[in-house]
Amino acid sequence: MRRVLAQCSKELAQFRRDKLTVALAYLLPCVAMMLYGFATRLEAKNIAVAVKNYDVGRYSREYVSTLYANGQLTPAYWKGRDVMTPLDLGVAKACIVIPPEFSRKIKQRTGAEVQVIVDATDVNNARVIKNSILATTNYFLQKEGLSQVRPLVRPSIRLWFNPGRKESLYIAPGALGVFLWIFPCLLSTLAISREKEQGTILQVYASSLTAPEFMAGKLLAYFLIGLTQAALLIGFSTILFQLKYVGNLPMFLLSLFAFLACSISFGLLAGSRTNSQSAAVQLVATTGFTTSLLLSGFMYPTRNIQVPLNYLSEIVPARYFVEASRNFFVRGSDFSSQLYIIFALSLAFVVLFTGASRLMRRMQLKA
Amino acid sequence: MIGMINTPLGNRSFKMQTKALISKELRQILRDKELLIMLVVMPVMQITLYSLALSPEVEHLQLGVIDYASSPTSREFVARLVRNQVFDIFDSGGSASTLSQKVKDGQLDAGIIIPPDFERRIKSERGATVQVLLDGVDANTAGIASGYIAQILQAFNSQLSTGTQNPKELIEPMVSYAYNPGLESKWFFVPGVLAMVLNLVSTLVSSAAVIREKDTGTLEQLLMTPVNSLQILIAKIVPLAIVLMMNVFISLFIAVFIYHIPFRGNLLLFLGVSLLAIIVGISLGISLAAFAANQRQSLLTSFFVNLPVIQLSGALTPIESMPDFWQKVALLDPLRYYVACVKAIMLKGVGIEAIWKDVLALLAFAVVLLVASSMRFRRQLQ
Repeated sequence: MRRVLAQCSKELAQFRRDKLTVALAYLLPCVAMMLYGFATRLEAKNIAVAVKNYDVGRYSREYVSTLYANGQLTPAYWKGRDVMTPLDLGVAKACIVIPPEFSRKIKQRTGAEVQVIVDATDVNNARVIKNSILATTNYFLQKEGLSQVRPLVRPSIRLWFNPGRKESLYIAPGALGVFLWIFPCLLSTLAISREKEQGTILQVYASSLTAPEFMAGKLLAYFLIGLTQAALLIGFSTILFQLKYVGNLPMFLLSLFAFLACSISFGLLAGSRTNSQSAAVQLVATTGFTTSLLLSGFMYPTRNIQVPLNYLSEIVPARYFVEASRNFFVRGSDFSSQLYIIFALSLAFVVLFTGASRLMRRMQLKA
Repeated sequence: MIGMINTPLGNRSFKMQTKALISKELRQILRDKELLIMLVVMPVMQITLYSLALSPEVEHLQLGVIDYASSPTSREFVARLVRNQVFDIFDSGGSASTLSQKVKDGQLDAGIIIPPDFERRIKSERGATVQVLLDGVDANTAGIASGYIAQILQAFNSQLSTGTQNPKELIEPMVSYAYNPGLESKWFFVPGVLAMVLNLVSTLVSSAAVIREKDTGTLEQLLMTPVNSLQILIAKIVPLAIVLMMNVFISLFIAVFIYHIPFRGNLLLFLGVSLLAIIVGISLGISLAAFAANQRQSLLTSFFVNLPVIQLSGALTPIESMPDFWQKVALLDPLRYYVACVKAIMLKGVGIEAIWKDVLALLAFAVVLLVASSMRFRRQLQ
């Protein structure tokens, strides 16, 4: 144990001395958090929609103003007759054509067709736009007493946890999972590969320090650093994105500890596998970044991940922590319903840490 | 030296020297197995990963239903909810309280509670209210799901009040999806990832090519030869651009023939724009390398630079969805112009008349970055 502590304090001293690494450890995560937390938005708010109105009557004018009334759609203007032009030029995301005689046909109760063309290059917002236009049309029909459909069944929709549908409440806790995965493991992988590159690892090979002891020392040191990173990042995002603690604190802390241990062990593993710092950074950055960004459910729900990647996503630790983070900051789940998260993260930690120690021990023999 | 270049003899030797340097660089690149693997493997890997992993589909949401009415009408209503695969029915636990607990724990995405007097209230024309609980944690999915529920209810109400599911309403919006009628999410991600990979590979490769000479000290040797720094720079850029064009072809091949993304525009325009993007990427890489002292630093700074460049490019999330401030910041992102061009050329099939602003911006970035990076590079050499 004393040897582990000695390793740990040596590592901490080395970390403190290297200004670039310190900046990397604290500044970069905050910048990244700000960027991802603010700039990752899936649903567009001000969607430019062009209307070509060939009608002169009252209904069409009212219909158009109803379309723009709730603020989600905003008017776009263009010259020319071809309805594809505004979409081709990208000045509008949808184009609505109201035919001549629109108002007259409504008055005569024969019905009028409105042509709606939605730019579907952005699939998600194409759905949002379609839903919005259909809902507004129905609202207009009901309001003007034009609909034959009586609203016999009405929904009373309750959005739980996030009644205002603020996307930051979804993105920010998820981003915590992404960055508390990437940055702690980046530091620990640099620690191992630096020793290898500078040759100081040979002294470790020659000493009586065992591989698990060596690794445990590093793990402890970077775990402490990881905790400070987590505290900073969580505090920073709480202020920035107005997150509130609504969940079970002991549960969240346990998940956080297990997750940090996983991240650092992954860094140690990557560091032991590679021979240079740049190779180690590249390995951690690409695998860590792509897995935590793509397979953790940070952007879209994990059930949308296709075979065979969905199996891979089951073993990505970030996925479980993203879950835990959302539970704690948004959902407010209780302790017992989240036990599987602790179980999964602890299992991942044991696997990653023994993997890293084994790898180190094999090299020790070779040396 | 500059005067010498202008004489015919100087001009010829300039050309010959540059040619020799270019062939040296090209040979060095082609010998580098790691680099060639990166050129081929990166696009294949990334395009596959992103297009399989990212999907904004709203379907197979887990729905729990408590039907207190348990009447023919309520059963018909439930059947309608699951008809188009947006919702799958899961165990609700039997009561309103267990259902809401399950939504709360995240075991269910949505819950619907049908009141006992459902049938009676509909028959008496007073109207019934069904309670819909939606997990709002994922704001985007919840928004689209509630839109679907509204549409299903609308169709159900039509059936009840007019006897037909699609009665002729007085205003009929005929919605069609342009460019991507099947709403394939791959069509959104693959062109974006193609652009992203090209940017990543070109910055990485070019910064590596400069840093390697710095690290091994061969840059000094190059300086002792009669070539000037401009020639060194040209010799660095030209072969890289040629090799990176290969990357463009590989990515395009994967996108079109493996992922069946349509290519509706002009290939020459696409290649021209890609060349501009390559020059931007290479210049960015050379600048990164020029500012860094060693390979580790250049890697870390490239990590630092690529993070915002990718996130703000619109490759993964649409720029229009970003808050105003970040949309303005995104104007400084060279990659966003390339992403816009690739999407417009591939999916919309438009020509230069639609994308000239993006092309111009890309051109401006290419010129500015190229001049800045070569000045920085030359200063370091002298």
